[in-house]
Amino acid sequence: MDCIVTIDIGTTKVKVSAFDQAANLIGWRQGTYPTFHPQPNYSEQDPEQIFLTVLYALKSLLNDELTKKHKPVALVFGASMHSVLPIDKQGVPLRNAVIWADNRGRDEANSLKNSDECRLIYEQTGTPVHPMSPLIKIRWFRTHTPATWFEKVYKFISIKEYIIYQLTGQLVVDQSIASSTGLFNIHTHRWEERALNYAGVQPHQLSELVPIDYAELKLKKEYVRLFRLTSAAKLIIGASDGCFATLGAGVITEGDATITIGSSGAMRVAGKQVIKDPKQRFFNYLLNEGTYISGGPTNNGGVVFEWFVQQFGASGIHLDLEYTVNQLLIEAERVPAGAGGMLFLPYLLGERAPLWNANARGAYIGVNITHERRHFIRATVEGIIYEMHSIGKLLQQYRSIQNLYINGTYASLPLFAQVLSDVFGKKVYVNDKHDSASAGAALLALTHLGVYPDLEAAAKTIRSVESYQPNPENHERYARFTEIFDRLSQKLAEDFDALVALQ
Amino acid sequence: MSLLNWPTFSMTEFQHIKELIRLKNPTVRLEEWPVRVRGGLQIVCILEGKFEWLIEHQRHVLYPNDVVVLCPWHGYGSPTNTLEIGSLAWLTIEPTSFEPSKELFLGEWSAIADADQKLMGRLLVTQAPMVLNNFKWVCDLLQRIETEVKQAEFAYQTRVNQLLDELLVTIVRQLSQQQNQRRDFPQAFAQLEQLFRNSLDHPWTVEEMAAVVGLGSTAFTEKVKSFSGFSPLNYLINIRIAEAMKQLRQTDKSLTDIALDTGFYSSQHFSTTFKKLTGYTPGQFRKRGTQ
Repeated sequence: MDCIVTIDIGTTKVKVSAFDQAANLIGWRQGTYPTFHPQPNYSEQDPEQIFLTVLYALKSLLNDELTKKHKPVALVFGASMHSVLPIDKQGVPLRNAVIWADNRGRDEANSLKNSDECRLIYEQTGTPVHPMSPLIKIRWFRTHTPATWFEKVYKFISIKEYIIYQLTGQLVVDQSIASSTGLFNIHTHRWEERALNYAGVQPHQLSELVPIDYAELKLKKEYVRLFRLTSAAKLIIGASDGCFATLGAGVITEGDATITIGSSGAMRVAGKQVIKDPKQRFFNYLLNEGTYISGGPTNNGGVVFEWFVQQFGASGIHLDLEYTVNQLLIEAERVPAGAGGMLFLPYLLGERAPLWNANARGAYIGVNITHERRHFIRATVEGIIYEMHSIGKLLQQYRSIQNLYINGTYASLPLFAQVLSDVFGKKVYVNDKHDSASAGAALLALTHLGVYPDLEAAAKTIRSVESYQPNPENHERYARFTEIFDRLSQKLAEDFDALVALQ
Repeated sequence: MSLLNWPTFSMTEFQHIKELIRLKNPTVRLEEWPVRVRGGLQIVCILEGKFEWLIEHQRHVLYPNDVVVLCPWHGYGSPTNTLEIGSLAWLTIEPTSFEPSKELFLGEWSAIADADQKLMGRLLVTQAPMVLNNFKWVCDLLQRIETEVKQAEFAYQTRVNQLLDELLVTIVRQLSQQQNQRRDFPQAFAQLEQLFRNSLDHPWTVEEMAAVVGLGSTAFTEKVKSFSGFSPLNYLINIRIAEAMKQLRQTDKSLTDIALDTGFYSSQHFSTTFKKLTGYTPGQFRKRGTQ
């Protein structure tokens, strides 16, 4: 039986999955790798370790998990956005890869912000000017490394390009990953000269651009052997995990939105147009020719709830985090909407959308003597979702949103899903494909192989298995909280700055 | 020291016990307690009072039933040289050999297996000096050792050595557990990984990894598998090969040197593992980088 293999190179792990012709999951394997923080604000990963982990996971899926009756006919790649890896002429990394969470370019981003140059770059590239963006990261390399080092850089690539280069010897980048670099013109689908000038790179220092269904990649014969593939198996370059997650959620036309809450989170809409926000608060990435995925990323998703669990739940080496999370959520379920009038600002990691304020910090407000631990748990969950709502509120100035489709470890938990439905006052759907990013990759491959006529038809095959109805009373109550929440997060900006100075 | 109540019993049967001291201090004494290296593997129990000490340049406030574990090269004492009011008890063991870069050998008296002693040494080197909070069990054990020595009943030497072993095992288990009490597995695993990177050429065993994290080897293996997708040893090999790949392409070191530096016991073993994982021999991979 023919099957598709998807390779999703995420921030903490690579996940390889096999899907049948109807995009049903047959099996999967994963391998993790660490993020290094050699200095505050630095987040780096070892490209060789990621490559080995990809090999290991692929090998164990293809050689141990799949049986003789499965024949992989296509491999397709998805990956996190915004990573930067400088390589030399031999393709050898000159240092570790710098990933999206890296903030070393704070000063560069701040000095570009609020300028005309910044507005023009944002209008052309669709990527907010922020330290996450490779535009800023490369600029940082330009200004913080000796010219002798910078001259050694043959190309600046992403982790995904490096893995594909190792497997095939070819240096190419798909337009989806490219569209999240801040260096790519979202309208013409070429590298954007203005952005390249700012970053200080030449077009030849970036990979060749190809569409996401590019399938001219050839696996080196050693790897064909290692994975026990036939030479007929196709390699499809694929897209970014964010665009794939939207496709895998079945939302690639206007009218609905997806909400992802994993360790970080994002709310995304799809359409034929970019969102032109004068305040530059939304990203616009490319799924394929003519489909834009727009939205806002939040730093403070499940990672904030996990912080709470570690500090105030029964945690420990012997306990399973998942178990403790569920115990706390049971406690929170018993608290009515609004946590007894307590409100939580979840900005433990600063914030991207909608504030774009690295100095934002967390707070519990409205605490009184009758509050118990369970109120704090509830407030923590609600705060994470109020933040998602404030992104959604702005998105709805540009797009109408009927339904919400949720994915990611945390969004799919029943309490999170119900609170999302109540806060937004919208119906919330959970799909049968739990891992939307991998499912999206499989849909692309199946479309390329002719199983579906186009991606829209492929997206329509995604079915919902669960749904949540908003409770009108709770929705009304939450509307009062979100109003206070939005006011506070603006109002406290000065105090956040003052506190950060003391941290 | 003037105020130390040296034990009134003979310690000649216990060459390996350097000190076994109980100290009651009724008044604040200036200049009695400077920061210094006291030597030996030392276990200090706070029995009464509150003490503010510098332990290896870190300030700690200690309360009754807190236990401080120190290696021979660690210094501690009061930042103001003052000994506060209260009482302490400590035991100093003189291991046959123990240095930061040398394996721990307690001596013939201990029944702890050699491999476990080595692991104990590594754990002490990486985790001590350590303050174990509210650990009354150790204070009680110390009291029992003292009583045995004083009363010298039938076969008391054997009993004392057994109690010493028990004391050390209890402390080593607690070292890892206290570290990991408030920590979930991913955090503990991240720290272990850092340890791997710092001593890649060390012949790690699963037992040793598990002890660092504070779990039994069975639970540890299971947790690593479900968390990382690898078995513990495969995860380590993955890190070793990743480092070897870097060295192959960025240095002129010989294959044998790279093999030994990254924890393989021979270049043969290195080559087979490398090929199995990457599809290339180390030599082919090196050439590939210069094409």
